[in-house]
Amino acid sequence: MAANAGNKIRNAKLVLLGDVGAGKSSLVLRFVKGQFVEFQESTIGAAFFSQTLAVNDETVKFEIWDTAGQERYHSLAPMYYRGAAAAIVVYDITNPASFTRAKKWVQELQAQGNQNTIVALAGNKADMLDARQVPAEEAKAYAQENGLFFMETSAKTAINVNDIFYEIAKKLLQGQQAPSPQAGMVLNQRPNERTVSSSSCCS
Amino acid sequence: MAEAGADSSNAAVDGGGGSVQNDYPTIDPTSFDVVLCGTGLPESVLAAACAAAGKTVLHVDPSPFYGSLYSSIQLSSLASFLSREATPPTSTVAAAASDWHTVVDLHRRIVYSEVETSGAAPEPARRFTIDLVGPRVLYCADEAVDLLLRSGGSHHVEFKSVEGGSLLYWEGCLYPVPDSRQAIFKDTTLKLKEKNILFRFFKLVQAHIAAASASADETGQGDAPARILEEDLDLPFVEFLKKQGLPPKMRAVVLYAIAMADYNQDGADPCEKLITTREGIDTIALYSSSIGRFANAEGTFIYPMYGHGELPQAFCRCAAVKGAIYVLRMPVVALLMDEEKKHFVGARLVSGQDILCQQLIIDPSYKTILDVPFDGSDSHFPRKVVRGVCIISKSVKQGSSNVLVIFPPKSLEEQQVTAVRLLQLSSNLAVCPPGMFMSYLSTPCTDVSVGKQCIKKAIDALYSPQASDGSEDHLETASESTEDVKPTLIWSCVYVQEITQGTAGPLLSCPMPDEYLDYRNILGSTKKLFASIYADEEFLPKKSAPVYANDDSDSAE
Repeated sequence: MAANAGNKIRNAKLVLLGDVGAGKSSLVLRFVKGQFVEFQESTIGAAFFSQTLAVNDETVKFEIWDTAGQERYHSLAPMYYRGAAAAIVVYDITNPASFTRAKKWVQELQAQGNQNTIVALAGNKADMLDARQVPAEEAKAYAQENGLFFMETSAKTAINVNDIFYEIAKKLLQGQQAPSPQAGMVLNQRPNERTVSSSSCCS
Repeated sequence: MAEAGADSSNAAVDGGGGSVQNDYPTIDPTSFDVVLCGTGLPESVLAAACAAAGKTVLHVDPSPFYGSLYSSIQLSSLASFLSREATPPTSTVAAAASDWHTVVDLHRRIVYSEVETSGAAPEPARRFTIDLVGPRVLYCADEAVDLLLRSGGSHHVEFKSVEGGSLLYWEGCLYPVPDSRQAIFKDTTLKLKEKNILFRFFKLVQAHIAAASASADETGQGDAPARILEEDLDLPFVEFLKKQGLPPKMRAVVLYAIAMADYNQDGADPCEKLITTREGIDTIALYSSSIGRFANAEGTFIYPMYGHGELPQAFCRCAAVKGAIYVLRMPVVALLMDEEKKHFVGARLVSGQDILCQQLIIDPSYKTILDVPFDGSDSHFPRKVVRGVCIISKSVKQGSSNVLVIFPPKSLEEQQVTAVRLLQLSSNLAVCPPGMFMSYLSTPCTDVSVGKQCIKKAIDALYSPQASDGSEDHLETASESTEDVKPTLIWSCVYVQEITQGTAGPLLSCPMPDEYLDYRNILGSTKKLFASIYADEEFLPKKSAPVYANDDSDSAE
């Protein structure tokens, strides 16, 4: 993979999971662009976000996949989960049903993904303490039982947003997984560079 | 490492809104510009194109996985998929049950038949992924690649090369296909005379292709001597090759292994099965422009990791990113027509919910009672393809992972009037465990029994049955001095698939997987279907791909 001078870059696919309206995209927008949009419609228009994070002397470049709304009727494709180094399962602390469904997403992830995926449980909308319906202790206990790590976040006020990605990056670097030998070739938009040599080869 | 397998979990995870009955969700909103039933490649490309054109799209599939007839499914699910029952036809159009719509029942067509399996499926079955469209590849320079790049789908799929190249089965031996100047030079099985003839032929073709593209650029005025004569272009390609002095084996290389002709070009078959020089050269142009197109691809062809089911998934994700709504596990049981039965106005879901739309698009495994008059004409000359899938113990070409093998017409038996293609895939595509290989075979046929016989003979030619002790069964590989032991056939499945074309009209039906090695014909039909409903819209314009924040993606190898 690419290597900067004196610095190692670790590429990592990170996927978001969670109920419609839990704030998955808001979390990413806050992390990547420092933005928050009130009353955002379901996720449209973005397939990936990319953001680089420095952890001590190393760098993690996250390729963050958003669901593009395919989670609404439980229609995420296997390619969404495949090769994910990390996942953030998001629920809304003001909505107990979203926590119930977050647990199901965790089960789905464990069925679909690989054993080494780092999973974070994010209780979002932590700024709305007055409307809280999911106790932090309950979520924390669930996370511990299932090998996840837990943080309450607020995309609106930026509470713990950078921290949750930073914590994932740290865990990734601790794991030090070797790059997958199965990695395939990605098509890119530089086909013309080889056209001349191709035609000279055959002429 | 991620497990291979396109099947979604069947766990009842309800990620969406509340359900009305039988745990089916209620779809909100209830009307769309376009409703598509089935997530095969043509339907998925159409969903992406419609969403990119700003249409509201609902895309449903009765299965828990994407792909329909273009799926990659686990070995353990193959038998049930191939034996899916057709619904019995209703004798009459159902009386209007809803307030103002006429309801037309939707039935499933029998697509697969005559399934024969032999050998024991190896464990664990979930580690083997079967492609229903196989054998199938993408040329590096073909339309499918350009569509992936334009739509942004290329971000979602990774590929491996068919790096072992192509082999020709000729007189009981496998020969490397010399498909470029470099390959001709390297080839140790060709005689010097054969090399010279073939080299001159390729030089002529390349000069013609260069002159034709220069002409298209309007810069090559007066380059006439380099071009092939118009009268030669309209000749059957086989006649042109004879004029160029190519001997039979070299003609077979060009016709079946490079120009990919399906039918015997030397027989007394109907004229429409003969390819013209023009058609042959078009495919040679695609073939040669594919070599070296991508710096990290070796050879002409690439294959999607995890199987061809990844391609529909990629286009569906592109559509979702543009706002299309996706619902798996949602059968459509009927279509809705206006009272005069002139237009389709929607679809009835299995949940009982009616969805209204301007345009309905269905997967080819569906049919309605209204199809009966057309089925009558269709059934006179049904196109069929015999497909085979094998699991084998080692590569047919030592040291190569992914290889294409071509059996020209009559190379297996006298009755073989069509070419048989075999594509071997390895675990580097994550379609099987290390140490095993998958092989896909196909041949188009009008006579099913001859087609199946040819597929079986091709399997017998390359592989030993499991019972054999292996020491007595050899396959001569002409490029090597010693004889190789044949790979062992662990498991195989041979079946017949019906082929229907896409149809435009009140109800838009997509094409089935065809007999060809690539998707050109299917994507050509899909593009025409899009033009038939949105004539003024561009089909996946070049800027369809979303802009990515900090996108500096590089190619990984």
